Amino acid sequence: MTGRSPRFLWPFVAVVYVLLLAPLAVVITVSFGSTSTFDFPPKGLSFKWYQAFFASEMFVRSFFRVSQVVGLSTALVATLIGTLSAIGLVRLSFRGRRAIETFFLSPLLVPHILLGAAVYLYLARLAWPTSSSTLLIGHIVIATPYVIRCVTAGLVGMDSRLEEAAMSLGATRLQAFFKVTLPLLRSSLVTGAVFAFIISFSDINLALFLAGANAPSLPVHIFSQIQFEADPSIAAASALQIAIVGGLILLVQRVFRLRLMV
Amino acid sequence: MDHPGPRQYWTMFVGPYGLYLLVFLVLPFVNVALLSVYIHSPTKIAVAEFTSANYAKLFELYYANLFVRTLRLSVVVTLVCVVLGYPLAYVLARSTSRVMALGLFLLIMPLMVSTVIRVFGWVVILGSEGLVNQALRLAGAAGGARLLYTESAVILGLAQQSMPFMVLPIMAAIERIPPSLEEAAQNLGASWGQMFARTIVPLSMPGLVSGTLLVFSVSMSAFITPALMGGRRVRMVGQQIYEEVLTAYDWPGAASLTIVLVVLMLALVSLALWATGRRARLETARR
Amino acid sequence: MAGSKVKLDVRGLTRRFSPQVTVGPLSFQVMDGEFFSLLGPSGCGKTTTLRCIGGFEILSDGSIELDGQRLDNRPPHRRDVGLVFQNYALFPHLTVFDNIAFGLRLRKVDKVQIGRRVAQMLELVDLPDIAERYPAQLSGGQQQRVAIARSLVLEPSLLLFDEPLSNLDFKLRIQMRYELRDLQRRLGTTAVYVTHDQTEALALSDRIAVLSHGRIEQVGTPSEIYERPATAFVADFIGSSNILTARVCDPGRGAGTLVETQYGLALSIPRVADATGAEVTLLLRPERFRMVADGEGGAAVPNRFTARVRDVTYLGEDLHVRVLVLEKQPLLVSIKNSKGTRAITSGTTIDLAIDPEDVHVLRR
Repeated sequence: MTGRSPRFLWPFVAVVYVLLLAPLAVVITVSFGSTSTFDFPPKGLSFKWYQAFFASEMFVRSFFRVSQVVGLSTALVATLIGTLSAIGLVRLSFRGRRAIETFFLSPLLVPHILLGAAVYLYLARLAWPTSSSTLLIGHIVIATPYVIRCVTAGLVGMDSRLEEAAMSLGATRLQAFFKVTLPLLRSSLVTGAVFAFIISFSDINLALFLAGANAPSLPVHIFSQIQFEADPSIAAASALQIAIVGGLILLVQRVFRLRLMV
Repeated sequence: MDHPGPRQYWTMFVGPYGLYLLVFLVLPFVNVALLSVYIHSPTKIAVAEFTSANYAKLFELYYANLFVRTLRLSVVVTLVCVVLGYPLAYVLARSTSRVMALGLFLLIMPLMVSTVIRVFGWVVILGSEGLVNQALRLAGAAGGARLLYTESAVILGLAQQSMPFMVLPIMAAIERIPPSLEEAAQNLGASWGQMFARTIVPLSMPGLVSGTLLVFSVSMSAFITPALMGGRRVRMVGQQIYEEVLTAYDWPGAASLTIVLVVLMLALVSLALWATGRRARLETARR
Repeated sequence: MAGSKVKLDVRGLTRRFSPQVTVGPLSFQVMDGEFFSLLGPSGCGKTTTLRCIGGFEILSDGSIELDGQRLDNRPPHRRDVGLVFQNYALFPHLTVFDNIAFGLRLRKVDKVQIGRRVAQMLELVDLPDIAERYPAQLSGGQQQRVAIARSLVLEPSLLLFDEPLSNLDFKLRIQMRYELRDLQRRLGTTAVYVTHDQTEALALSDRIAVLSHGRIEQVGTPSEIYERPATAFVADFIGSSNILTARVCDPGRGAGTLVETQYGLALSIPRVADATGAEVTLLLRPERFRMVADGEGGAAVPNRFTARVRDVTYLGEDLHVRVLVLEKQPLLVSIKNSKGTRAITSGTTIDLAIDPEDVHVLRR
């Protein structure tokens, strides 16, 4: 199975993976159940909870209008300013570069709940009501470092002399960037954008504070449903999110080395 | 490769996010620091007069218990992650690239899915009508065990959530250890266990430190997991902050809690940096 | 030097990676106290063989015995075999002292003894003052000596070397070569040494096994390998060579046989059993040719011929001269640089001769 690990370690590995994946596997299985109790194994198979999901206005709105829109917007903005930052950090030399790099990556270490509370209180002071826009603001803070890390890795792994070669052939700095660097960074950019989307899409801690009262994101709506009205349409909603996130990560794994991310 | 550019160059690149963070990261926490020393009033939420009441309050029994419980649970979760995570990190680090890709995917995927979903899964498994109880009933045990709303449930949920944060840094550290070191140790007479303890563990220490730091901070500030899996019985600081902000509107109180956690995190990070920096200096003396 | 007892007995060692890629079956014996090299180009299986002896590869077939006892059924940490790795594999988090003491501590040797033996080792490898330093603070040559000390302090029955000098620069490599040899001779430990550098193998070894594509081509002393290579591969791999095909013209001419190459060059070679018309493969080492002065000998000089110089490569000590005989037969000739050789340039003709004893017949 594995390269050089002794066999007695495999039980440990199995236990950990069961621990990690059991909740997800259960959720997906329950979502196909035919009863409204969370039977496992389910008593029958049906799509009705998926139908219920799409029939529920709140679910659909939170999924399409809020989570997806904010997610895509986050991906866009984070990729833009993240790429700019990464280029500045890698290619330019200026005093305090290391410090600024640490500062830019600090949101990765800040617990989301603390950030959510802090930004919420701040917005309250500014009398700025919560809405999808404020959610977007929070997501940009936490998603951009992922883009910075991706693009930095891509830039560092790229031979910087390629740009110089282009310039020696007559291209201006800007042309060299667009014709040589950017295409070579494509996989980093895509990976960064995908991760920014996933971070925004899955976030709950920030959303609890920053999403508009009438425009909850999908995770927030799932949260309230778990507490008040639990039926397996939650499982359907969750399974959908698992499928989307899983699919995106699989895609990314083909182009990028995943473990640089966390 | 490095172009020492004129000033406007780097402000153009580094400016946007820098400014953004200043406005939406630094200022909010400055605001929180300020709030933490304001007086809490039920009518106006916060009055702009200085007091240390919010911090003094934290020494009361209720809050003291809260912190102790949060610390205790975080330590347990961290230990669980170390014990289970180290072997996994080793196996992944030494596996062939295809196996590693699959292993990494299965490890990272639960991390990227929203916490609510993972916790929902646990609720289904551990709930009174859930998986485990159904199995117990089938096996003849009457009624069913109360598995949710216990500390063990919260530890389980947090361990699942934090495991990748422990495994990934350790895995990266082990990958940097050439396999020939393992073979050399074995050639000198060490069994696998002795080799692991004397070679792999010391050399992957920076990874262990990073992992411990990440897991500990995730656990200390956890909210969703203890809220849904621990409920009223198992309260952690995260739940307290959430309530004081959105329910009780005791913003100064929430602020003081937040600042305490932030200071704790900063202290841990500095400790970790100091510990790994010291070792790195030892090992790269000649570079 | 080498005793008459068989220390390491490798029989039919086979390691199958895939149906197309197999190392072995290999069989060879290493005598007690011998310095034995496995020599060959990359991919020939020498490192695999070494790793099988060390226990890091599992045999698909065959057996390995050390001092008459089966070795290949024991895990790597319970073989009495020391392995010096190509990249030294020193533990970066331990001092030199702790690195060398590593194996001793595992064997629960007491502190006083450890101190004594480590100090002894450091003296032996000529590094008495560096016990408290870390590997990162040492030069390549020093690291290598610590790696050797670490294995030797355990007094293993057999010492394995995996291309230990390949990471050192040229001059250091030559110096370490002599030191390694002296050390091995002094301690009398049997050594198996893997290298792709034929000069190194020739300089260090009591005997050499030349490998190619997972099989042994020849086992012999350095002079046997060089002077009487068994196959064309060995002849070509060791030193430079001219390999010619020729037909037997006159089997019984005096004490030797007369052959003629495909391009018409006639040569006297030592007596062979082949009949007239049979094809033989000849090896002529470039340095065995000598220049014949104009007035010399006449017919009394055997294997004398005229050649036209195509080009001359000046190498300081020697001249490598590529010549053409009878306008068709190319040869590489190596001549010692001296006053008399200044006149050799492209286009000139020179007279060469080679002693029939120096024409070697390759049988495979």
